[in-house]
Amino acid sequence: MIAAEILASILLPWISALVIYVLNNHRVSVFLTVLNFVILTIIGLHLWFSVNNPITLHPPHLVDWLLLVYDYGLLLYFFKQGIENRNPLVSVLAVIQIFLLSWVVLIRPHSEVPNIYIDKLTVFMYLIVGFVGSLITLFATRYMQDENPVREGEFVAILVWFLGVMNFIVSVNNIEWFFALFETTTLASYLLIRFRGDTVSVNNALLALWMNQIGGITILLALLFAIHKYGITHFSQFGEHTQLALFPLAFLSAAALVKGAQMPFHRWLLGAMVAPTPVSAILHSATMVKVAPYLILRLSPFIKGTLLAKLIVVFTGFVFVVTALLALNETHFKRILAYSTISLLSLMMLAGTIGTPITITVALMLIAFHAVAKALLFLEAGVLEKRYHAKTIYDLKHIINKAPLTVFFILVGFLSMTMVPFAMFVAKWLMISEMSELLSKASYIITVAILAIGGAILTVLYLKILGLTINRDEESFRVKIEKLPSLYTIPNVIYVVLILIATLFINTFLVYFFAPITQSIIGYIPPFCEGLSVCIKNLQLPFWQIIIAFFFVVFFPIIAHYIHFKTDRTAEYSCGEPVKPRISTYNMVCLNKVSTYFESISLALFVLVLVIGGGML
Amino acid sequence: MFGFFKKFRKKSPWILHYNTGSCNGCDIEIMACLGPKYDLERFGIINKGNPKQADILLVTGPVTKRARARLLRLYMQMPEPKVVVAVGACACTGGVFRHMYNVENGIDRFIPVDVYIPGCAARPENIIEGIKKAIEIWERKQKEKVEVPKVLKEIPDVETLDRREIISKLEEKYSERLVIEEDEK
Amino acid sequence: MKGILFTFALLSPIIGGLIYGLERKFKARMQNRQGPPILQPFYDFFKLTDKRALQVHSFHSLMGIAFFVAAWFAVFALLIGPNILIAIFLHVLALLFFTAGGFSVKSPYSVMGALRELAHILAAEPILVFAAIALYLSTGSWNIEGILTSNTVPILQMPLLFCALVLTVPILLKRSPFDISEAHQEIIGGAEIEYSGLFYEAVYTAKWLEYIFIGVIVFLFGGSNYLLGALLVAATFLFVWLLDNATTRLTIHYMMKFAWGILLPLAAFNIFWVAIWR
Ligand code: SF4
Repeated sequence: MIAAEILASILLPWISALVIYVLNNHRVSVFLTVLNFVILTIIGLHLWFSVNNPITLHPPHLVDWLLLVYDYGLLLYFFKQGIENRNPLVSVLAVIQIFLLSWVVLIRPHSEVPNIYIDKLTVFMYLIVGFVGSLITLFATRYMQDENPVREGEFVAILVWFLGVMNFIVSVNNIEWFFALFETTTLASYLLIRFRGDTVSVNNALLALWMNQIGGITILLALLFAIHKYGITHFSQFGEHTQLALFPLAFLSAAALVKGAQMPFHRWLLGAMVAPTPVSAILHSATMVKVAPYLILRLSPFIKGTLLAKLIVVFTGFVFVVTALLALNETHFKRILAYSTISLLSLMMLAGTIGTPITITVALMLIAFHAVAKALLFLEAGVLEKRYHAKTIYDLKHIINKAPLTVFFILVGFLSMTMVPFAMFVAKWLMISEMSELLSKASYIITVAILAIGGAILTVLYLKILGLTINRDEESFRVKIEKLPSLYTIPNVIYVVLILIATLFINTFLVYFFAPITQSIIGYIPPFCEGLSVCIKNLQLPFWQIIIAFFFVVFFPIIAHYIHFKTDRTAEYSCGEPVKPRISTYNMVCLNKVSTYFESISLALFVLVLVIGGGML
Repeated sequence: MFGFFKKFRKKSPWILHYNTGSCNGCDIEIMACLGPKYDLERFGIINKGNPKQADILLVTGPVTKRARARLLRLYMQMPEPKVVVAVGACACTGGVFRHMYNVENGIDRFIPVDVYIPGCAARPENIIEGIKKAIEIWERKQKEKVEVPKVLKEIPDVETLDRREIISKLEEKYSERLVIEEDEK
Repeated sequence: MKGILFTFALLSPIIGGLIYGLERKFKARMQNRQGPPILQPFYDFFKLTDKRALQVHSFHSLMGIAFFVAAWFAVFALLIGPNILIAIFLHVLALLFFTAGGFSVKSPYSVMGALRELAHILAAEPILVFAAIALYLSTGSWNIEGILTSNTVPILQMPLLFCALVLTVPILLKRSPFDISEAHQEIIGGAEIEYSGLFYEAVYTAKWLEYIFIGVIVFLFGGSNYLLGALLVAATFLFVWLLDNATTRLTIHYMMKFAWGILLPLAAFNIFWVAIWR
């Protein structure tokens, strides 16, 4: 039964993608994406309750060979793309990959370790992919009607297929398979980014391609070394060796850092903005970049406390602060979101690398709620683009006069990433507290500084954008709530409701949802207490504070829309001048000067992670 | 209930000072009043510089044509109860600028004035005395009664007044238009 | 202890008002003026109640009220809540409403003030978080009661951080040289400019609560030695008032450079040093 469910959650997206592609019909697409949403979520929930101990599966050997053939085909395709688009780098990297892959195939030992490994972490990713990702595909069906109805089938098919790939990649145990699927996500993102087919899209797609190929190469190098030294071919085997060299772990982490678009490699994620908006939504929230923290969490028990972990903490901490700063400099709405994604991904990986029970829980919370919040925000970005032709944050000025509902969703999306009492805030707060705990034992001392500073920057970033949107000149009750197509609204409403519920019952989620996953990753459970108040050891966030703060952040904006004080109204003060003011916001151009330094420093840190963290010195 | 709050009025008058094109003599005297020597703050007076939070409007200068609409606008933006003090000969009658081509000969052609302080320039002692008088008048005023500029013919009689309409009407009529284009992008 | 703290939180607007009255008196005396009576803030309060209410739009007015309510709630969370770090973030939440109000009107000064307020948050929030971490580090508790009954005196371990905190107080209270977001002669109060009457009253009172908020955090650095704590608070406020009288306004760039270039490293160095030293 469970095996069938796992198979279904992997294959259903692949099959529905094929059907959507072949039929290319709007109604069929909508039906199938909804079906995916329902079935994947139900399967995920059922698996959640039934997978208590890790489940392993032995697919037939045929799959192994099929994947190998597929792998070669894929790499050849990359090679061909490099030649066709006159990008030698892509071709060269593809050749290197083919060479390394063949070497792996030559020396790999025959092993009977199961190739599929399902634990709570996997099911957790299933749930995110199924719940958050499917809704994006549903949104995409309507979005393509506005953009290019002829190619709707193709577009939605790739998105849905991406979900299948994602479900597959989080289930595999075999590193070689992991490589194949890693490259498949690269392929999917490549296809999606170049979807519009203009020069900019193609260039950015190639950028994404070669950067992610580097990640593939590091995986292969790690695998080669692991096979050569220890005969390790599967993730689960890392636990069997006590005296492990850090080289393979460092290179696998490097693959995660590349996938997670960390600083020297951040351009591919920024470049992905040229694609239709659902692409960004799906890359940022449910798939692709989430492979990075997933991989780190998988490796976390093995790298915890090592020099490698410390270097990754320094590196991701640096990227966390710096990308948050660079986001202040951006004016493009989607690019700001992208920078904040990179920033929060580094925070997830930082938390995952430190690897105490609480930080692992924090990483999981960040993955889950970041997925929801970013999906919400990117879908709103799509709505803004299609309905209000707003792309930069300056286009968002006074948008509350036209679209109060959209602004409310954006508000929830932004505030949920930073403000008390939302779930991601709770995660950050747990993180700061845990780091202070570690600080008093004199380990990871700089992380508290990183968290305090980065958190403040992100808060200011979000408030800065919200400020532009809520600038208004009319009483709010006169503004009608805008009517949007239901396929635009439904996914967003579901996300918002999920965020709000999770905020109110955060402790329930912590105890019954996140803590078991932490247990399945590192073996012991963080000591959360029952009830509605978050409390753990000497930390407490009582429920009355959660609920009052919730009232402030959620109900005040809603009340503000309907409330009407019956008093005199007057014009704004402008020194008596009859000037219509125009508003704007900080652009922080002063950061332009330093951004190149940031990149060089992060490159240096990345090399340090590889060289020193990998034990090559 | 409101009788209780009324008692505290005289203890906290906040002033707004507007210069309608004076020679700055009177303004300096007002500043002197606020400074350490005469220390108006001991009466709780602060110079708010913001009509919306001010109670006493101190006007200096003979009202140039450019300043006309601004004066009206600031007056309309002040919440009742409010009092107006004309400081200096200019503000009372036009003073040395009287009958010049660009001035309007005193503020009382436009807004109701409660206290006139003579002198060119008005002495700080006079200003303090004038403000004291203004506070006495202010204490008798009601917040329910809307006060509008003299130039407005029909006095609006509604519970909640939309002052923006009045302001823009006045502006239409009295401003020497200095067109400043709004560019949004 | 809980009862005292609760009463204190309940009375905090009144006490904050008294501190503000004291401030005005002290500053006047420093300038050799007589100054207003100490109860002056309350006179202002009562007078504002009796003014006719004007507003730009209801959203804006509501945000003013929300600022007051949220600021009071932050004080409550600081005084009776189990975690001072949460209280600091709740304080940011209160400022969120203030900035939202500032941003929501089409008034150049208001928007400018709100933007500058963001810079204030950026400059001051990390140091407040550091202060909370420092208190935890030296007393081992996130709880105000735990800190007040612990037998260590945090300021002895955290002198540099305390200096940084004292220099952050002008940023939080918007006092010269860092009265940038209020800047009375320049942008006429910034984000509070469009409030009037009753609604201004809310904002005016919320600003008194800031004294309590920052005062309590300073007080906690005395640990269980309450006399020392009271002395610290008195010294801090006197210093800030003197500084306010003695300096002129600096630019926003200078404030950011000062906060991030000097105060943050100072505070971080102190924390790290203490962490490594033991
Ligand atoms: S009254 Fe005299 S001093 Fe005052 S503004 Fe007029 S001319 Fe200047």
